[in-house]
Amino acid sequence: MASIRLQGVTRAFGPKLAVNDINLDVADGEFLVLLGPSGCGKSTLLRMLAGLESVSEGEIWLDDYRVDQLPPSARDMAFVFQSYALYPHMTVRRNITFPLIMRRHRWWFHIPVLGHLAKRRIERSPEVRELVDRTAGILALTEMLDRLPKTLSGGQRQRVALGRAMVRKPQVFLMDEPLSNLDAKLRTAMRGEIIKLHQQVGGTFVYVTHDQIEAMTMGTKIALMRDGVVQQFGTAREIYTDPVNTYVARFIGTPPMNLLAAAPEGEGLRIGEVVLPLPPALAAAARKAPNRAVLVGVRPSALSVAAADSPGTIAGEVALVEHIGAESLLSVRLAQARTAHEEEGMSHDEVMATAPGYSDLEPGARVGLRPDLADAVLFSAESGKQLAAA
Amino acid sequence: MTTATMRWGHALRIAAVLLILAAAGFPIYWMFVTSLTPSAELFAVPPRILPTWSQRDVYEEAFRAIPVATWLANSALIAAGTTVLSIGLAIFPAYALSRFRFRGKGLMGLGLFATQMLPEAMLVVPLYAIFGQLALLNTLGGLVLANTAFSVPVITWLLKGAIDGVPIDIEEAARIDGCTRVGIVLSIVLPLVAPSLAAAAVIAFFHGWNEYVLAQTFISQEALRPASVGLASFVGELSTPVHTVMAVGLLYTIPAVVFYLFVQRYVVAGMTAGSVKG
Amino acid sequence: MSQDVAPGAVRPAAAKPAARPDEGRWVPYLFIGPLALYLLLLQFYPLVQELLLSFTSTSLLSPRDHTYVGLDNYRNLIAASDFHQVLLVTFVYTIACVVLAVGLGLAAAMLLDQPFRGRGVARALVTIPWAAPPVAVALVFVWIFNAQYGVFNFVLRSLGFESGQENWLDSPELALPAILITTIWQIFPFAAVVILAALQGVSSELREAAIIDGADRLSVFGAVVWPTIRPSVALLALFLTIWSIRRFDLIWLMTQGGPIGATETLVIKLYREGFVYRDLGQAASVGMIGVAIALLVTFVYFHFTRRAEIAEGRR
Repeated sequence: MASIRLQGVTRAFGPKLAVNDINLDVADGEFLVLLGPSGCGKSTLLRMLAGLESVSEGEIWLDDYRVDQLPPSARDMAFVFQSYALYPHMTVRRNITFPLIMRRHRWWFHIPVLGHLAKRRIERSPEVRELVDRTAGILALTEMLDRLPKTLSGGQRQRVALGRAMVRKPQVFLMDEPLSNLDAKLRTAMRGEIIKLHQQVGGTFVYVTHDQIEAMTMGTKIALMRDGVVQQFGTAREIYTDPVNTYVARFIGTPPMNLLAAAPEGEGLRIGEVVLPLPPALAAAARKAPNRAVLVGVRPSALSVAAADSPGTIAGEVALVEHIGAESLLSVRLAQARTAHEEEGMSHDEVMATAPGYSDLEPGARVGLRPDLADAVLFSAESGKQLAAA
Repeated sequence: MTTATMRWGHALRIAAVLLILAAAGFPIYWMFVTSLTPSAELFAVPPRILPTWSQRDVYEEAFRAIPVATWLANSALIAAGTTVLSIGLAIFPAYALSRFRFRGKGLMGLGLFATQMLPEAMLVVPLYAIFGQLALLNTLGGLVLANTAFSVPVITWLLKGAIDGVPIDIEEAARIDGCTRVGIVLSIVLPLVAPSLAAAAVIAFFHGWNEYVLAQTFISQEALRPASVGLASFVGELSTPVHTVMAVGLLYTIPAVVFYLFVQRYVVAGMTAGSVKG
Repeated sequence: MSQDVAPGAVRPAAAKPAARPDEGRWVPYLFIGPLALYLLLLQFYPLVQELLLSFTSTSLLSPRDHTYVGLDNYRNLIAASDFHQVLLVTFVYTIACVVLAVGLGLAAAMLLDQPFRGRGVARALVTIPWAAPPVAVALVFVWIFNAQYGVFNFVLRSLGFESGQENWLDSPELALPAILITTIWQIFPFAAVVILAALQGVSSELREAAIIDGADRLSVFGAVVWPTIRPSVALLALFLTIWSIRRFDLIWLMTQGGPIGATETLVIKLYREGFVYRDLGQAASVGMIGVAIALLVTFVYFHFTRRAEIAEGRR
């Protein structure tokens, strides 16, 4: 069993809080992804789990054991580094065997000749050899066991790092952006390998990444972090369909969810120059919004392109068309409606819409965007917090 | 590891560092203390550990009794000359070894390295003969020429390492702007390696300042005697008051130590940049 | 990892081109020419002269009168009763200097690698011995080792060693240890500084990986730190070795090689033969032996370095 519980976990660097009061419950066997932009504290949190960073405040529990004061080697957690951190002067076999030797280490192993012989004996013992060979086999490393890391490719080195972690049969696997140093194609392949590994090996995985696609495809649970605080903790589906604030809404999804400025009017919602009907639950929530200022989140796929001036559409002009094969991404500059996209340099009048197939629209064309509000999410324009979701 | 053991470990480490620093600094400190110790107490047992300030005038005394000013001036002249000549000779070879590929480059590098193995004490005699023929004995200039031969390999290596660290794009840009190679070296590369140049200057300076064997052999004229030779005559003999001698020793040592403290970071960087290569 | 690593320790620039076509192929030679000539004249030519001198019998008093004697100087040298002692002293002195300076330097570097307040100042202060002129060092250490009035004996006595009246520099057994203490005091900062620089190259992630794998501090050192710094330490040892074979000032000023040859290294013997016994030919032969030993050490170093690099797949 390897459930993890984080209670009020905080890490301060002087006045700055890199990790701020994290509370998470991770079930045994979960694949938790810590997602967020650089600097959000996800790596720091992972390292605190491992014991590489100290905990300023709070507690970390592994099942019924409190581990936050324990040294890293006592926590039964394995760590895979972004740069793999393979021992460059040891063969692949030795790299993978290393943790097993360290586990059986006695104080007198430090005596030059004696210790060397003792370590060799452990290395050659049947159980250790068998375990290492089996691990290498699972990771397709058998031919490379006697090679040095510098002669291996990035993907192979990554697998050695995994092997070194696996061989300890830890309860928890911690991975710090292990795929970031690989090229795109290799990354996709390795993603599958790691998922397969999780299924084969069991155990709880905690995986740090800034890539939301990785998070969505790999994680059973995702914790999206920003500035040291967990914005939302839930399944991929929950985070996608039910984002708890505008930051989450804009972070997940490519292209990201559009946030249109709106205000409740009657039973519907006024977006720019048009008033559109809302499902009753959403309408009620909109009416209760502070200042009656609302942001309605509509995914690009929920904005269909119709002829300009069609009824129930938001007027706009095509600014850019990107053809990505199966569909086309349209940047549309809105005539009157406004958006609330916070990212730097973004103007407040452009939304993204997708059109199926190869669109014939050209930049400059006037169109009307028809939003499908059935799956819309409402946010307070003031606080950014979700008001209601469909 | 509990915080308590961590704090103990830390305290122990600080103590060890202080111990090492104390050992490193003690002899210099001892020179200082001894220089201020009054004659009566010099041979006292237990020896005085802390300085007394009553004897400040020992330094004045030193200048009167011993030609310290002359010595230090000579040392400074020799050192300055060695610096200028060493750096002047080293700049272009350092650049060439860093940037060019040419036949004989390996040989040049090897040659520079080989000079490290030649003891001054051995080459003294042939050098004496050579400089005798050139009528450069008993001149500070002759000494500068000889010293430079021994310091320039290290200087060259240091500068080469520094130049290695300068990106080549800047030179290529200058080249496109019509700058000659020599111009590039002097007006573009050199300013960029200024810290290492300063460190090299300090190394060359103190090579000349510290040098003993050649000075001892080449110079017989009292007026040209540098501090290294002058001081050497006092080593171990007790007829001249020890505190006076120590005062002179300190005056001789302090410039070297002070300058070195300022530039040691760059010295190290230059050396390791060169030695990290395969 | 330290933040105050000095600038200049940067990755080298990319491809180094040869001289540009329009410059003339002789530009590099123009650049290195003056220096090459200078060194040829003032280092290699004297070396050759010494070599030739070693085959002659020449007196210091009339240095231009050479009598060719073939290998006599060398034969006399090897047959001399004190030759073995000179070699032994040189050997012991060199090995002890290198091992102890590297050991002490390593300890100092490891200590100075940890963060603590005033670390930058400590790192600068530790280089003081290296900066001090050898003549001044000899001066003060002779005084420190003085039998009756020296502070060294005083400290020994205070610590309880009753025989704290030792005559350090005048006693055949203690002279070499005294010289060693002085030498190591002077050179360990250099070792410390070089090793400290090498320690900056140790990847902290690698250290962490070892810690997570359950390695204790000594094992982390053996598995991560040492393999990374080993090449630098080897090069350091090479230079310290060659310099120890060369070292003259300190030893000559403190003991002149005495008493009874207890501190007479090859270089000291060289000087003594040349300037005390006035036999320049003999002195030259001693010098040649010294150079030969230095060359041998260098070849051994390069041989092992190459082997290590092949084993690690770097060549």
